[in-house]
Amino acid sequence: MKRRMWLPVCLALALAFLLTGTAVRAEKTIKVGIVDTYTGPASTYTNDVRDAFKLATDKINAKGGILGKKIEFVTRDDKFKVDIGLSAAKELIMRENVDILMGTINSGLTLAISDLCEKEKIPFLVTFAKSEKITGEKGNRYVFSMNENTAMAGKAGAAGLAKKPYKKYWIAGDDYEYGHAIADSVWNHLKTLRPDVELLGQSWWKVGEPDFTPYITAMLSAKPDAVIIATGGAGCVPFLKASAATGFSKSVPFYMHTATEMSTLAPLGLNAPEGVLGTSNYFYYYPDTPENKTFVKEFKDAYGRFPKVGALYGYITANFIAKAYEKAGEINTEKFINALEGMSIGSPIGELTVRAFDHQVMFPMFMGTTKKVEGYDYLIATDIVTIPGKDLMPSIEDIKKARGVK
Amino acid sequence: MDFASNITLSALFQQSLVGLSRTTILFIVASGLSLILGVLRIPNVAHGSLYMIGAFIMYSINLFFGGGQVGFWIAVLLSPLAVALISLVVERGLFQYLYEREHLMLLLFTFSITLVFGDLVKMVWGSDYRCVDLPAAFQGFFTILGFPFPRYNFFLIITGPVVAFGLWFLTNRTRIGKIARAAAVDREMVGAVGINVSLVFAAVFVIGCFLAGLGGALVAPTQNIRQGMDHAIIIEAFLIVIMGGLGNIWGALLGALIFGLTDSIGILVWPQFAIVFPYVIVVMVLLFYPKGLLKSTW
Amino acid sequence: MPERSAWKVLVPWLAVFVLLLFAPRFLPRFQVYLTGLILTTGLLAVSLNLVLGLGGMYQFHHAVFYGIGAYTVALVITKTAFSPWIGFLLAPVVSALFSLVIGLICVRLSKLYFGMLQISLGSLVWAVVFRWYSFTGGDDGIHGIPVPDIISSTDGAYHFSLILTAICLIVMQRIVNSPFGRSFQAVRDNPVRSEAVGINVKRVQLTGMVISGAFAGIAGSMFVVIEGSVFPELMFWTLSLEIIIMCLLGGWFTFLGPMLGAAIIVLLRTVVGIYTEYWTLVLGFVLMLLILFLPQGVLGYFLEKFKRGGMKAV
Repeated sequence: MKRRMWLPVCLALALAFLLTGTAVRAEKTIKVGIVDTYTGPASTYTNDVRDAFKLATDKINAKGGILGKKIEFVTRDDKFKVDIGLSAAKELIMRENVDILMGTINSGLTLAISDLCEKEKIPFLVTFAKSEKITGEKGNRYVFSMNENTAMAGKAGAAGLAKKPYKKYWIAGDDYEYGHAIADSVWNHLKTLRPDVELLGQSWWKVGEPDFTPYITAMLSAKPDAVIIATGGAGCVPFLKASAATGFSKSVPFYMHTATEMSTLAPLGLNAPEGVLGTSNYFYYYPDTPENKTFVKEFKDAYGRFPKVGALYGYITANFIAKAYEKAGEINTEKFINALEGMSIGSPIGELTVRAFDHQVMFPMFMGTTKKVEGYDYLIATDIVTIPGKDLMPSIEDIKKARGVK
Repeated sequence: MDFASNITLSALFQQSLVGLSRTTILFIVASGLSLILGVLRIPNVAHGSLYMIGAFIMYSINLFFGGGQVGFWIAVLLSPLAVALISLVVERGLFQYLYEREHLMLLLFTFSITLVFGDLVKMVWGSDYRCVDLPAAFQGFFTILGFPFPRYNFFLIITGPVVAFGLWFLTNRTRIGKIARAAAVDREMVGAVGINVSLVFAAVFVIGCFLAGLGGALVAPTQNIRQGMDHAIIIEAFLIVIMGGLGNIWGALLGALIFGLTDSIGILVWPQFAIVFPYVIVVMVLLFYPKGLLKSTW
Repeated sequence: MPERSAWKVLVPWLAVFVLLLFAPRFLPRFQVYLTGLILTTGLLAVSLNLVLGLGGMYQFHHAVFYGIGAYTVALVITKTAFSPWIGFLLAPVVSALFSLVIGLICVRLSKLYFGMLQISLGSLVWAVVFRWYSFTGGDDGIHGIPVPDIISSTDGAYHFSLILTAICLIVMQRIVNSPFGRSFQAVRDNPVRSEAVGINVKRVQLTGMVISGAFAGIAGSMFVVIEGSVFPELMFWTLSLEIIIMCLLGGWFTFLGPMLGAAIIVLLRTVVGIYTEYWTLVLGFVLMLLILFLPQGVLGYFLEKFKRGGMKAV
């Protein structure tokens, strides 16, 4: 009776449950699980991470792998949602038995997975989330940041702006953690470098704000000398668009982290505003070194497009994994972490080092201004100044203070 | 902080103008939603997806014709038609069998369509941001009272009343509009006098979706076209329709005006809390007008 | 009630409960976690169905009460010196209070107006949580919440959620079949007549919302135990839409249908997500097919097919 009714339902559910059974895995591989956002606006950044990671692991595997074991990886789409990503991370750890977790572009999710990985004792290599809390306040033994963070970006921006004559500033940005963190970081460092600067006001828009015209006109009415724009990801393109349409970029100079990145400038074509000050970790056309050229060629041959900044993160992550296991001499998590602390590798942008104390890779920052250049279908960064990674890193004392360690 | 220090009359005027151009897009999208809600009683969550698809098709057509004046106008005209075609297929293929279902079921059904459309857009257009360049005539800005005002926004402000008039004409002066309005009140009665209600419904659905596509096509040059546009617009459109009164075209216009203007003036007056303004406004309106501002067809 | 039939109903359910109680003995860790997640989401969906299915109210932003429950536990544990258990006791109370306030404002409205006003009010709560960095952790949320040791392991969290779900389901079943439940149902079926026979429609609806909100708060506290994290998405409107889908999918005129709907959604997401990033496409098609062919929901369909009245159709 009741059984009859429940039988088909239970059978279907049991079948689905069986499908979630533990994955069979070959002992001969090193398994990396990637949780990242492959749906929605953020995926314009994350696909490059995955593709470059694959490029690097293919090369490593072709040479016989690490310690005789090949690297394999599986991906899960978190849809930019914390609950889905956290669930997927648990699935990768508990069901797929991954050795290493990688991802994600969502800072909140990254912090959640970081905490999970500390409990599960799985190394977690962060490849895009930029919150400085990841390796700062909330850092732990198992989490590593394979990209720059908001503290570093802020220092870079402040260093560039301090050289300019502007005094009266306006701050505007995405109303979430990333926007506020970048803005605070730029502003605090700028104030120490130039005590005479003055903040006229701020405006904050919701994440994914489609039209910036009203914000720009509101800013114009305050007549600042310069504006600090703290918008990330999907906001960069429409902001530049609106600033070109209103002539804002011509009347008020502004700094925007990642303004010079290809994901921002390429969609705008030649209509992007010139003279915008921006910072980025990577350009496929800079630095003009053989290492970078080789990397760009390999990536372009494999995928038919130029690598963006995410590609650098994915590429070095694979190489860090390989080198750390080799140094450790065996597939052992604790030894892997010990090996990775303080490790340096060569990369398309020169040597990169993981700082042992907070597990943050010390990225240099390239500061440049947007300009039309012959031979490109879109604006590129010019007058690039390299700010070395060691100058950008938050001090160990600051991190200790944030973590509440005496 | 320096609260309201920079509010001058000219700045207020300027913000209102900018708000008006935003209102146009909101009105076009919301009126389509309202039409479908009013006549067909479908809370069409997929309306946002069609708006997004309209923007993407605008991008593709514009690119195909090499941009410029020609590409832009062809794209603005063709992409809403393409969206209308998609909606016709969906209506004849699926919706026409579902009209008698519960509202919540229809809501769920349209939501599943958004899931499918969302992934289809990802498959077709990929994950990179897309932009539509404006033709030279619309580039640049005017200076009004010392503030820049983008030319394209002027075009948008003019479009709003044109669309509103067109809709008024359609619903009040044409046969199909009159039948649709009658069907909204009593669909059985309309069926009883020998009119093919099913076809009328199909027409209304397609017109509503055409408006979603038009909104998407018009908004495309002002922002980056990307996945997730659908989520952002749909909740706003629903709030506007509710504020104005379900199924009332003028209500959609009024709702869009209130929404667009409070949003842009809020940005000037109290920028830190701009994020909550629209919700506060909706709450206020519904507290005093529990059935929306204007008469609903429900 | 006759003893025999009571036992007939009770025994299978006891068997299911005991089976689930010992599930960690024979299930791998991931499936234990997944079952706990299904129970939590399921409880949330069943609690929504109290107002949606039983009361016929368009509760469009149920996730707010879920999120408030979760945040209550998280904040009591991380920000106060009280015992964590106080947090678990407070969760339903705080959620019920918010339910009362939002309900007082919304209950004058009906159907879509009610739903959209609730979305607006809920979004205000969400915006506050999203922005109040010093208190709620803002959009990053709070992670690594130290729940009591006894329920912090995967098995512990599972048992906690299982027992709590069982208790809540029994209580809710009682409520559904109580005089209040019947008047709530009467209000759904015919508000005008209910008013005429002396039922205070608005008060009944408000009470329903408060009860439902309290259970959502309990589900929220279970989420904290299972995931150890809270974040503003827990009260974003898209999640509310998902819960509505679970109710409709499982069958919103049945008591346990929403639980089944939750199981289907969570499992589908997990299983399909393993194979493709296009799992929303699959989910969309499955939902469309189900609506086209099973308008009563999955459980509703089986109930009808086997003509069983024993479930006490809600």
